[in-house]
Amino acid sequence: MRTSLRGVAAAPGVARARIWRLPERSSEDASSGSGMGLEEAAERAATELESLQERLRSRGREEESEIFGAQAMMAQDPELLEAAQGAVEQGTPPEQAIRDAAERAATALAALDDELLAARAADVRDVAARIVRILRGEQPPRLEERSIAVALDLPPSITAELDPALLAGVALEAGSRTAHAAILSRALGIPAVVGARGLLEAAKDARDIAVDGGSGEVFLDPDDVTLAEIERRSAEASALAAADAALHDQPLQTADGHRVMLAANIGQPEDSQRAIDGGAEGVGLFRTEFMFMGRATAPDEATQTGAYAKVLESFGERPVVIRLIDLGGDKDLPYLPLPHEENPFLGVRALRLADAGHEDLLLTQLRAILAAGEHTGRQPWIMAPMVADLSDVYRLHELVAMAAFGRTLGVQPKVGIMVEIPSVALVAELVAPEVAFFSIGTNDLTQYLLAADRTNPGLAERQDPLHPAVLRAIAKVIEGGHAAGIPVAVCGEMAGDPAGAMALTGLGIDELSMDAGAFGAVKRALAGVSLNDLRGAVEHALHAESARDVRAIFDSMRAPERKAVG
Amino acid sequence: MAETTIELRNPSGLHARPAATFVKAAAGFKSDIRVTNLTRNPDKSAAAKSMLGVLGLGVSHGHTIRITAEGADADEAVNSLREMVEAGLGEAIGG
Repeated sequence: MRTSLRGVAAAPGVARARIWRLPERSSEDASSGSGMGLEEAAERAATELESLQERLRSRGREEESEIFGAQAMMAQDPELLEAAQGAVEQGTPPEQAIRDAAERAATALAALDDELLAARAADVRDVAARIVRILRGEQPPRLEERSIAVALDLPPSITAELDPALLAGVALEAGSRTAHAAILSRALGIPAVVGARGLLEAAKDARDIAVDGGSGEVFLDPDDVTLAEIERRSAEASALAAADAALHDQPLQTADGHRVMLAANIGQPEDSQRAIDGGAEGVGLFRTEFMFMGRATAPDEATQTGAYAKVLESFGERPVVIRLIDLGGDKDLPYLPLPHEENPFLGVRALRLADAGHEDLLLTQLRAILAAGEHTGRQPWIMAPMVADLSDVYRLHELVAMAAFGRTLGVQPKVGIMVEIPSVALVAELVAPEVAFFSIGTNDLTQYLLAADRTNPGLAERQDPLHPAVLRAIAKVIEGGHAAGIPVAVCGEMAGDPAGAMALTGLGIDELSMDAGAFGAVKRALAGVSLNDLRGAVEHALHAESARDVRAIFDSMRAPERKAVG
Repeated sequence: MAETTIELRNPSGLHARPAATFVKAAAGFKSDIRVTNLTRNPDKSAAAKSMLGVLGLGVSHGHTIRITAEGADADEAVNSLREMVEAGLGEAIGG
């Protein structure tokens, strides 16, 4: 039997090997096999963690080594041990006692409205698991042969113990691109796929596994045909990676040297480094929703200021566009009770919340952005989504002025808008003189213009931003923006699609903002064509029958070997 | 008893690395040292020698903390911890 699953591509490369599963720990308390007391076991755990920290530091893996430094201190935490010891004296078995004490500390950390600190909750549980293992007299997990680790998630202490020479890849049912195991895999240069739902169930009876960390695919007990196919893809991917590396230090430009600013879309401060490493000239879209999701109360001004300051700091002189929260009735947030909407994308969301009793939410965010600008001395670019017309623009300026009230600003923010509602595209030339920049959100602009719900997979073919009508709307926005002398960017998925980037460049766009993972493909696409040819192609595209025809025009301009995979 | 109040300027707040620096330094003193995050909850304090306690205060960028110490080296402890926080606990901090 052969099964394949798709998860998130977390570290590139292809590998096939034996499955290694994380040994299951029974939750029952076996009688402590080591004969050690709690304190001695905790001390041993701290020693282990410190030597792990040293080992990683000596290999230059500073960032990971610090996780173990923090864990070593948790293992020796006087309050944690006191709490556990107290429970032991009351008759609780030591394993249970340390797990309970750690769980209480973890719950307290997870409840903090601070992303970074909440992430430490997993570290406390991990420390308790280590102490329990030592109490039981069990050895740390180890690989016997070349294997791919398959698990729900891999805590840092496990991944660090595994012999990197035998670890061929990682496949996780949970986790994200920023999960510890994903970072480790990229550092080791081994493929990793995370967030592969159903993986554990599917792998239950399998012996071998193949992972394609470039596409995010996982194959259980793959046959030879499958294997040959993924190896072919892997060779292709590494050829492209070599081509990307050659373009890495080049700016985004056409064959005849017409430059377009290359910016990154980021979802959290931790994404900054990857964008900078990829050569981003700034951030074209910093989505701030991450701070507002999965929590009981809205993040306070100080928490938000910290996150914004971190990104402004990371990018130095380069511009960072911070988008005001785009929340609406489709998100269920305990602190933002919104009535159910039949059409949340057409409902009360984002800027419209200001006039629906939630002005404070936006004001707090604006104050935090202004404070971050003051703390770092960098000029923040503020972008509002869901702007429909000139009166929305005036409302936005009013909110910014209210947030700035009583504050002496050393650096004035730039205030611009996201162009996604068709009405504002139609009046672009009226709005442009009143804002500092335009950034076109092509995903929503397309769904609104073409009346095709983005969340309905059955309409996928009707959501192509290369549609002539969308291109005409974009042309109008660029024209209006340039007449007023303001820059016009695109921060939707169209910017990171090679054919889309070509069309936008032909239309005269100033900046393309995309996930850092798309930089290479977009640079390659533009490097192969001249601006004149793109302008000519755009003329045809504006009069084409459908998005499919437009796509064919731009695909035909791309070199054949690039077309297949780009 | 010695006491001081100071604003934390680290961009990511008192997360693992600066917290570790702080706790290690606190452990070097004999005094009983406690920390309070005045911005978040002025009624809750934690032992400065407890990593989990300090992390659990949830000190973010711009939060104000109070450090108090009681014991033989209380003044020295408070002064030295204050200086460390001012200097960024080993991290670069912006103006």
